[in-house]
Amino acid sequence: MTELGSMTEHGSMTEHNTGIRISVIIPVGQRHSDIRELYADYRAGLDALRTPYEFVFVLDGPHPDVMSGLDALVDSEQSNIKVIALNRPFGESTAIMTGFERSAGDVIVTLPAYHQIDAAEIGKLVTMLEVNDVVVGWRWPRAGGALERMRRTIFHGSVARVTGMRLHDLGCGARAMKRIVLQELQLYGDQHRLLAVLADRQGFRVAEVEVRQSDRDRFEGIHRPREYAHFALDVFTVFFLVRFTKKPLRFFGMLGATMFGLGAALVLYLIIERAFFGQSLADRPALILSALVVVLGLQLFALGLLAELIIFTHARHIKDYQGAQIIQYPQAGLPAATLETRSEKTAAR
Amino acid sequence: MACPPERRIMYLLSRPKAQAMYNASPKVSVIVPFYNEQDSIAPLYEAIVRALQPLQIGFEMMFVDDGSKDQTLARANQIAQRDSRVRVVKFRRNCGQTAAMAAGIEYASAEILVTMDGDLQNDPADIPMFLDAIDSGYDIVVGWRHQRQDKLISRKIPSRIANWLIGKVTGVPIKDNGCSLKAFRASVIKPIPLYSEMHRFIPAMASIAAPRIAEVRVRHHARRFGQSKYGLSRIYKVLLDLLVIKTLASFAARPLLWFGLLAAPLLLCGTVLLGYTLLSFALNGTPLSLPLAGCGIIFVASAFMLLCSGALGELVYNLGDMRDHEFARLTQRLRTRIVPVETKAQ
Repeated sequence: MTELGSMTEHGSMTEHNTGIRISVIIPVGQRHSDIRELYADYRAGLDALRTPYEFVFVLDGPHPDVMSGLDALVDSEQSNIKVIALNRPFGESTAIMTGFERSAGDVIVTLPAYHQIDAAEIGKLVTMLEVNDVVVGWRWPRAGGALERMRRTIFHGSVARVTGMRLHDLGCGARAMKRIVLQELQLYGDQHRLLAVLADRQGFRVAEVEVRQSDRDRFEGIHRPREYAHFALDVFTVFFLVRFTKKPLRFFGMLGATMFGLGAALVLYLIIERAFFGQSLADRPALILSALVVVLGLQLFALGLLAELIIFTHARHIKDYQGAQIIQYPQAGLPAATLETRSEKTAAR
Repeated sequence: MACPPERRIMYLLSRPKAQAMYNASPKVSVIVPFYNEQDSIAPLYEAIVRALQPLQIGFEMMFVDDGSKDQTLARANQIAQRDSRVRVVKFRRNCGQTAAMAAGIEYASAEILVTMDGDLQNDPADIPMFLDAIDSGYDIVVGWRHQRQDKLISRKIPSRIANWLIGKVTGVPIKDNGCSLKAFRASVIKPIPLYSEMHRFIPAMASIAAPRIAEVRVRHHARRFGQSKYGLSRIYKVLLDLLVIKTLASFAARPLLWFGLLAAPLLLCGTVLLGYTLLSFALNGTPLSLPLAGCGIIFVASAFMLLCSGALGELVYNLGDMRDHEFARLTQRLRTRIVPVETKAQ
């Protein structure tokens, strides 16, 4: 009850703080360091910018220890802090979007809830926004074992293959972006990791900047198999989103046609064997296999058509050219006489 | 229309307030997508003005800059600063020609929309012909590059085949789908969804509404500046796009039927196979052939899956916002007689 009270009170308070330029959103998930220490650290980094800022902490699920720490912060600090507590873990993307809804700044900075980058580097991310729309951090030089390095190379290599974007550290939680970016992207699921790719796809200028890794960001042990599945799914998501969102049949059709072709070839082979070499057909397990593959191809194709139907029925909301600007100079009037006289000449001819 | 609020706001913002202060309601909008055509834009502008000025009608030009990396946008801006009839649509990134056309069509304000390429291969002097055809009652007028100035092997022959195929499949026999010089009645084309890479199929896509289509011969010039942006690799894409448009145009409102047609042969095959094996087992006592029966089961199961997909399709269509009667309304002709209700004098 007290938590709720302090939150609403705070929400209404910040309505008056119109001077805020930078909103720092910190999604607090499973992995987090001591929050007071982290806050002090980030604060030092932000103070160096000499720009009004606010902190938006989003507690992704109940974290009583963090909550009490944040309560103490809100009570003691003379600066802008918002704390949003979510009732269950919704995932980092949702946490960021929730924080974004309550943020006031034109510049949104997301920072991880543990010491990942050197806080002094936050300024670098923000200043790079002068010429970019999104700036993502790249921890470099980076600590880590050989296996971990290999995993990163493979992961980022495949993302680069799919998107043509050479990114080096999609796992870095430190990003800065203009407000409009999150307004348009509407992150969900695990898309926070792919923010740079998705923003690039929307036509935003994206830059990756090297930041010093924090001394305390050490990766303990190896990833669990589940994490690897996440990485692989990320690559697949990017692959599908970047290439086929508007033309799903090209994806499903490619798979379906390949399957169908394979199955048909197998059927043909079986029929030829039956017709010319006297092999009996009815008792061959290969027959089932071929039927299965053909049918699978057909099903995939049907899925593609269904996906096309979804795109078609929503085509009026799907626009590639989001954020297009129209430039017109109504006061310009008609051009000087040169053109008109010339056109009269051609008309007279 | 259920449009997400933030997008609606974007749309409102992106329309300048003084949009049509001058030239309040132009009759013709000429829509030209540009992608890296810095040398073409000024000559094209002059040619359009030369072609339309003598007609004494209000017209505007929509120059869509599709995220060019050269001076195209700057030069378009210069032209717009001199001529209030020019509006420039600026994309943040390269979205492709379909999106450029779609944006031009969406933001244009005239009743007749003319689209053309930005590479000077179309001649604006042909536009009056298009306008005449629209005035005489056609909804869509497409150009036909009679003497095409392109390479034979890589451009002309594939396009001949593609045009024949598109005509056969969609039932809209147009001799030259690739010609960008087209004219549309705005009320007909605006509600037609254009996305993905459909700019080659606009008449085919528009066939949902069954518009009256005319063809006129146009001049075609060889490319003067810049690079051609097409290659041979598009055949696979064209085929799939064609299939999509065909299915959407004929079946979108009846997904269950469409999947039912896919499922029918499978169901038939499966039933025959299953029936044959079961019958021969029951009547002749031959041992049950597992592979044959297995195939039958797979076919029948797959047919059911397809039917279920069709049901899913009905759900999708039901929740979407495309309705056939909206398309029917676009081109309908109305003839009514209203008999005044007679109030009987008592």
